[in-house]
Amino acid sequence: MIEIRIHGRGGQGGVTLAKLIATSRFLQDLSVQAFGLYAAERSGAPIQAFCRYSTEPITNRNLIYEPDHVIVLDPTLVGPPIVAGLKAGGWILINSPQNPTDFADRFPKNRIATVDATRIARDNKLGTRSVPIVNTALAGAAGRMLGFPLTEVLAALEHLGFTGGNLSAAERAYADVQRLDAEIEAEAGDEAVAAPVAGRGPSILRGAGGALPAIKTGQWATEQPHRRQFIPPCNHICPAGNNVQGFLNALAHDDTDGALEILLRTTPFPSICGRACPAPCMDSCNRIEIDGAVNVRQMERYAGDHGNVTIEPQSSRDERIAIVGSGPAGLTAAWHLARFGYRVKVFESGPEIGGLLRSGIPEFRLPEDTVAKEIDRILGLGVDVETNHSVDRQGLLELARNHDAVLVATGLQEQRDLQLGMHGTASVIQGLDFLDRVHRDDVRVDEEDVIVIGGGNTAMDAARSALRLGAASVRVVYRRTLDEMPAIREEIDEAFEEGVQIDFLTQPIALNEAPSDGVRRYYRLTCQRMELGELDESGRRSPVPIPGYDFDVPCHRVILALGQSPDVSVFPEGTEVREGTQLLGLLETPVFAIGDLATREGTVAGAIGSGRRSAVHIHNVLSGEHVMITEHAEAARDVDVWCDEVIRADALKLHLFERQAGVEGGSISLAERRSTFDEVHMGLEDTAEAARCLSCGVCNECDACITYCPEGVLKRVGHELVFDYAYCKGCGVCVAECPRNVIFMSHL
Amino acid sequence: MSLQVVTGNHAAGYALSVAAEANRTGRGAACGIYPITPQTEIVEYVARFPFTKGRVVPVESEHSAMAVTMGASMNGARAFTASSANGLAYMAENIMVAGFYRLPIVMVAVNRTLGPPWNIWVDQGDTLMLRDFAWTQFYCEDNQEILDTTLLAFRLAEDPRILLPALTCMDAFIVSHTQMGTSLPEQSDVDRFLPDLDLPHRMKPEEAKTLGGLAWPHEGLSMRLEIDDAMNRVPEVYQECRGEFMEVFGRDPGDVIQAFDTDDAETVVIASGTMATTVREVVRARRESGERIGLIKMKMFRPFPEAALREACESAKRIAVLDRNYAAGMGGIFWQDTRAAFQGHRNDLMIQNYLTGLCGGDVTPTVIEDILTDVQTREAAGEPAWIGIAAGEELNA
Repeated sequence: MIEIRIHGRGGQGGVTLAKLIATSRFLQDLSVQAFGLYAAERSGAPIQAFCRYSTEPITNRNLIYEPDHVIVLDPTLVGPPIVAGLKAGGWILINSPQNPTDFADRFPKNRIATVDATRIARDNKLGTRSVPIVNTALAGAAGRMLGFPLTEVLAALEHLGFTGGNLSAAERAYADVQRLDAEIEAEAGDEAVAAPVAGRGPSILRGAGGALPAIKTGQWATEQPHRRQFIPPCNHICPAGNNVQGFLNALAHDDTDGALEILLRTTPFPSICGRACPAPCMDSCNRIEIDGAVNVRQMERYAGDHGNVTIEPQSSRDERIAIVGSGPAGLTAAWHLARFGYRVKVFESGPEIGGLLRSGIPEFRLPEDTVAKEIDRILGLGVDVETNHSVDRQGLLELARNHDAVLVATGLQEQRDLQLGMHGTASVIQGLDFLDRVHRDDVRVDEEDVIVIGGGNTAMDAARSALRLGAASVRVVYRRTLDEMPAIREEIDEAFEEGVQIDFLTQPIALNEAPSDGVRRYYRLTCQRMELGELDESGRRSPVPIPGYDFDVPCHRVILALGQSPDVSVFPEGTEVREGTQLLGLLETPVFAIGDLATREGTVAGAIGSGRRSAVHIHNVLSGEHVMITEHAEAARDVDVWCDEVIRADALKLHLFERQAGVEGGSISLAERRSTFDEVHMGLEDTAEAARCLSCGVCNECDACITYCPEGVLKRVGHELVFDYAYCKGCGVCVAECPRNVIFMSHL
Repeated sequence: MSLQVVTGNHAAGYALSVAAEANRTGRGAACGIYPITPQTEIVEYVARFPFTKGRVVPVESEHSAMAVTMGASMNGARAFTASSANGLAYMAENIMVAGFYRLPIVMVAVNRTLGPPWNIWVDQGDTLMLRDFAWTQFYCEDNQEILDTTLLAFRLAEDPRILLPALTCMDAFIVSHTQMGTSLPEQSDVDRFLPDLDLPHRMKPEEAKTLGGLAWPHEGLSMRLEIDDAMNRVPEVYQECRGEFMEVFGRDPGDVIQAFDTDDAETVVIASGTMATTVREVVRARRESGERIGLIKMKMFRPFPEAALREACESAKRIAVLDRNYAAGMGGIFWQDTRAAFQGHRNDLMIQNYLTGLCGGDVTPTVIEDILTDVQTREAAGEPAWIGIAAGEELNA
């Protein structure tokens, strides 16, 4: 009887090799056995398989303790265990590219054979590159070593259904195997047989019952998991640079103060943006692919309204910084510079600070006390204010001389006009002027038919204010269609709800007096019907008139809301006014334009982003530090890899998220909306909506990976996810179970 | 018939499948089944088998596996399943029910150690725990025997004189996962050996009745006695089935006990499963050196073949019973029934118990030599001897 022991790793096909050898003998009418030594091992674990064959019936049902020959599938297993019990003079067949003589010193009592079965398997495309299946090649080599004709080896392979590359591999290994049939000091049987266990083993009462030896299973791994972080689309698109995912995650954990603290790292105006922001984050939200965007705007409002955080300057610095203009850009810059510790003074031409935040957005969208509260928080950092202080070109030079840096944030002061005639009459008014008068309670439009020209938020605000001030009718005329309107979609919908009419594809061309109705002056607005033509530079289809399609609309009042442009007269002629470009080059003092003046973005969020970028820029210029804008926004997280890439819905495992519709939040009654300036939206009562955030590409410590790790090698230490690589076999279950694609495998 | 190198699990899966398939002209095949190491390959085999009529039902537990199998059997299907170790323990309530319902189900069990401590290797404690559940039980030593005995078990179980479920057992890994040359019979021969099942107490929609409802003491007693009568008929019916098996397949599936060199033996070893193979070799060698020694392989454990055992041991003076199982508070389970078989018949016989190979231990020729030396030099029987562990050492708690 011949007994063979095979050493391999789980998944290499050792048991099949035993069966191949057994089958080749079975087909020659010999009695055979082939079996593995099974325990809890999985892929990669060192395993043993056995084969017996004999011309007599085999009567032994035991393991093989004294093999005649051994076969080693994995060269990393070559060591003392492979010769345990091996009979002197027996063959050791090793899968190795080395020469048999390289092993002769280590195994002086045995004959050595080697074959590069791994290369042969790869050449024949058997298994994968990382785990080639070497057993059929080794069957060929073993056949040669054991003295079988090649035909008998191939017959066994074919009997078991092997074809193609497996046959070629066996044939080549049969030919290639190198044998060192040296003189052996043959002393058979001098290896110890495993002795029966003497004495008692472990006791279950002492807690040691049946424990398997500690095996560092991590060394079997061919891949290892790591944690990474992507950029969520909301964070990417937020013009203010807010860490949207971060504050939502804090809210989802009932940490409202923490959420506010995260927001205040970027914006001093969460309560304001939580009401007035167009929220591009919601348009880019990956949750749209499941059941609708997370209501980020309402959650920001919640954090701003309910959070309570005290912010102190980081340090005290001597440099003095002047900021011209107190709109959102100027105040955001003031906020961040004051937090860095600079001495900041804001100059405002009007009687109160806040710019358009106070005068340009009506109370029903943005209550005055909300604005006041957030401005007070900024002033609480020790920011000085001088109101009723206009700055002209001379004044700017003066400020530059007296300060270490100057930021100009005068916004978009020039309101665009349309030459319709009848200007100068009290019945034609610019939208922002109208809203300012509304703010100061200085206007009524009782029983008037009002026309608003434009399609932005100012147009909507003016139209809705006019309704509340008693207008008999309010019509908005806009030269393109609903799809092109720059106003926030929700505001358009609400204007419709309240009774505003909108005439699309309508271009006003002339305003003429009409016969009076006997009470007030009456006008006739002549309009042209338009259609959409080619794309313009804004990427929208530009309206072109349909010839011969003019019509008149009667009205008492026309409000122009056509947008604004910057007033750059404060700078020397020819100055290029752009964010980050130093102005007034003759002076050493850094002078920068920021906000809408520099970017023309026209949103509060955009102004906040510009104000913060500029503040950090100024700080770097003055201090010589190199604070990155991203580090400034977000505390560092402990991840292995930062991916500078926006993660999209197709990279998430959407099926792992439960469906849960979003919440809108309630509104006051339509009757109240038509007659009062009370805030329309009531806000949400809790933070449940935040839990809908998918936390795209950012670990939110859901710990699904820890729950599903079959080896229990994952744990959380604080916010850190710790992989115990000594025992991680690289199965990848954590990757499969991570809904947000945070864990990935790396090849070893 | 084809000769192939296959595992014991493959052989058992084949036998279950072709036997059930043979009922395709009757009410078909059925199986509720749940995987457990080391039986899983059987599940894989039967799940792939293209049954003409009937199906394999994957379920969520062993308990449900037997429930499905019983339901199908009551409706006339040739029903089977397979399990192991703690899976059998979980199935146990329904295993008992199947026996008392008199359903001719055949189950293959791969003998595996009941945990804890967790252990996947051979130990017969799992099936011997079921010994009182009105199933016949057979222990097999190799792939061919598990295949043949499983086929024969259907014939025996379905015999109208018997109508008891049958359990055929093999050692974990040593049989279940060892590849050996095995003869796989043709379906046509199996069809011949196993005619369509005609269950006398089959549930029929047109003939409403209750199986196993409330029974008064004397009614219950009567039903137990019917089981006893059926059990008593097994040795005789088994021989008929064995004869027909040989006629169809040309091969002996083996007697209920298999005596080897016992004719004039003074020392007899009683063993089962793969231990018997190794003991047979040691006995053969000792015989050649002139010792009067023999082996009895216990193939059938339920019903316990008392008469055959007594007959085979007529010349014996001492018996070594090898038990790969342990009944806590008593000793080896084969040993208990062996002692009972000789009680009142042979008071001169020394019967010593050896607990060996428990929890997957390897019973090597060396171990058996040590046991034989012990039994031959012993003056009188003593407590069961634990082999492979030093005696007398106190637990250092």
